[in-house]
Amino acid sequence: MPSSHAHRIGWSIGALVLATVVLAGWKLYALGYSLADTLPLRRHVVTYELTLDGQGGDVRVRTFLPLSDPRQSISDEQNASPGLHFSSEIDGLNRVATWTGGDVPDGTRVRFSFAVIPHQLRFELDRTLAVPRAYPASVSAYLRPEEDIQVDDPQILATLAKLGAGQGPVVDRLERIFGLTSGLPQRPFKGTTDALTALRLGEASCNGKSRLFVALARAAGIPARLVGGLILENVSKKTSHQWAEAYVGGHWVPFDSTNHHFAELPERYLTLYYGDEALFRHSADINFNYRFEITSSLVPSPRARASFRLFNVWAMFERLGLPFLLLRTLLMLPIGALVVVLFRNVVGLPTFGTFLPALIAAAANETGPAWGVVAVLIVVLVVSALRMLLQRLELLHSPTLAILLAGVTFTMLATALVSEQLGLMRLAHITLFPIAVLAITAERFYLSFTEHGLLSAAKELGGTLVVVLACNALMGSLALQILVIGFPEVLLLVVAANIYLGRWVGVRLSEYLRFRHLLFARSA
Amino acid sequence: MSWARARAWLAALQERRAKLVGINRRNVTLVYPNNERRHFPIADDKLLAKEHFARAGVPTAKTLAVCEGLFAVRQTVQALEAHEHFVVKPATGSGGNGIVVVGSRLEAGGWQRAGGRVLTAAQLEKHLADVVFGAYSKVMDDKAFVEERVLPHEFFATLWADGLCDVRVITLEGEPLMCMVRVPTAESDGKANLHQGGLGIAVDLATGRTSRAVHRGRSIERHPETGLPLLGLELPCWAEVLEVARRAARSVPLGYLGVDVVCDRARGPLVLEINARPGLEIQNVNGKGLGPEVQRVEA
Repeated sequence: MPSSHAHRIGWSIGALVLATVVLAGWKLYALGYSLADTLPLRRHVVTYELTLDGQGGDVRVRTFLPLSDPRQSISDEQNASPGLHFSSEIDGLNRVATWTGGDVPDGTRVRFSFAVIPHQLRFELDRTLAVPRAYPASVSAYLRPEEDIQVDDPQILATLAKLGAGQGPVVDRLERIFGLTSGLPQRPFKGTTDALTALRLGEASCNGKSRLFVALARAAGIPARLVGGLILENVSKKTSHQWAEAYVGGHWVPFDSTNHHFAELPERYLTLYYGDEALFRHSADINFNYRFEITSSLVPSPRARASFRLFNVWAMFERLGLPFLLLRTLLMLPIGALVVVLFRNVVGLPTFGTFLPALIAAAANETGPAWGVVAVLIVVLVVSALRMLLQRLELLHSPTLAILLAGVTFTMLATALVSEQLGLMRLAHITLFPIAVLAITAERFYLSFTEHGLLSAAKELGGTLVVVLACNALMGSLALQILVIGFPEVLLLVVAANIYLGRWVGVRLSEYLRFRHLLFARSA
Repeated sequence: MSWARARAWLAALQERRAKLVGINRRNVTLVYPNNERRHFPIADDKLLAKEHFARAGVPTAKTLAVCEGLFAVRQTVQALEAHEHFVVKPATGSGGNGIVVVGSRLEAGGWQRAGGRVLTAAQLEKHLADVVFGAYSKVMDDKAFVEERVLPHEFFATLWADGLCDVRVITLEGEPLMCMVRVPTAESDGKANLHQGGLGIAVDLATGRTSRAVHRGRSIERHPETGLPLLGLELPCWAEVLEVARRAARSVPLGYLGVDVVCDRARGPLVLEINARPGLEIQNVNGKGLGPEVQRVEA
């Protein structure tokens, strides 16, 4: 290779890498981009599903709705309660929702949904902090006993003394109390357990442990309160959760004795209300039932869209009403193509064409990778069989291809119909596959089959599908997608990698097998 | 395995690897610098290659007819009616696809193909139309051409009676690097394709003697179907074979080639076709890498 040529290659790669570093550095330091913003957030949609048998009379149902705060942002609230009047108002720290109605029939349903993006909360507590002599009036109210939080009961006070939690710094006291409450065996008990009962039984559910924690903390001179909420998981459930907060150094710090979270709250916790409250209250003499439906998905961080000011194609897509998915696919295709290049030129895996696997991977976004592979297999097998039948008619080439295209259309629609019947909704999305991509894949399979035999065609199809899965894994990464949207110069690195691979003369992995007799001679 | 032995093993592997030419190395260091893309059609189009050969006086099989479009199909069939032995080929086909070999004329009209099947005039017309339409090539509007059938030299006829064995010579700047004889078998369906079960026999460039034979990746000493010995045989008119390969390679503006030579019983070595991206299996057949041979020629 002439050395001027090698220089040209080296300079090209160097220039591309430098341009990327400069552009990305400028954005990070001068324009206020943040790499952390490229990480997607988990967004949960919570739906309260309430059913009530009003028996034709007046009905009143009351519950709590979450409020946005720095730890959780609530959006997209929707109420569907035909025949009932819905209102919500702030009551102290909480937001109370009420549904009322007259002549309410049996089987009335209420669906209230909202979206939440929660964040993890963690406190580093100052171990030397002493218990203050006095608190502001609004806080000192959280030192008083309540009906189920028996702060001045002799047994509570005796336990406090036994723990040695009545003296020393705040954190020390809380650790001793937390040690007791979090050490209690878990009891799957539904209903209310007061602090004293939890202490006497020596075991409790989440609300019993939280009340005992609050009672002991208050007795130790630390303001504390109950918190009610939900643990956000991708399920439908009835279980809500309770934990506690203590006032330490001017902050309300969370403590969950049940799940052993000391001075921290995991991301998946949703706060609904503060205080010793019932989550649902309703007028007597109605049958009332409820469920929480929770679905989770990854979403781009809202901060990312706001901060990506330069070359803001994201905002442009929003203005034009184009789907975000399309933008992601467009920007990820070069990365998918690089994956194909790696598999072809470094691994040596045979595939149908250079970009077909990346295109199939992009198309499989709606079906998911597994069903995408199934979809490709169905179409390839059916259409190849059709191709084989056509061969007997000995038609000219272009009309044959046109017939195959019709075959792909028909196979896609039939597969969608059948999978809908079988309840395979993701496979039904096969109709979103670009027809041409499937037709070309099927034709390539058939040609390979006739020219090189079934084994070779199956190898190429298998290789294609493996690369499709690899492309899908990388192209489907939301974090990478947002990174490329915010820092499109990453694609320059992809170009640099391709230039390097374009001059790479190394032995492909598959060639170690092909030339094994030459490479691994016995004389070694 | 101890650390020192592992390192020695790795060093030996690296040394052997340096001699091997893989696909990446072939393309980057041999094909791209030596074969300009604009000259690829000369190798891809057998008719174009034959024009270059004719100008340089490289011996080839005689072209009986050329069919350049659907309109010429009937004419071509008529022109062949008097001929007994001929081969129909697509101008840009590869891997032997679309090649029909005709062995004799039938009394009732039509011909008998190699292997025994009958070829009617209508079937020949259909085949020519398919070829012209690009059914066997990656381009639309291919051409079909008909060549006089080569009758193989006895040496090669002994290896395979029903068709042609060819000598594949890899050349760089017109100098042979490595060569092998490709022998069709019953298993390979009469095709001289090593992947389909054909035999590859390495020939020593200097002596013209067969030194190694490979069948389906395994080194063999005898023909797996006939039991004939394959090693130490002396190829007929070896000097001429290499000479026509050299002349063919130098007649085209392509520096790195696979030249396919056959030996006709009467006319001696003829060049069948050239390939601008010759395969690498020849290294397995010869039991050695192309790397040192490339260095020998480039030095």
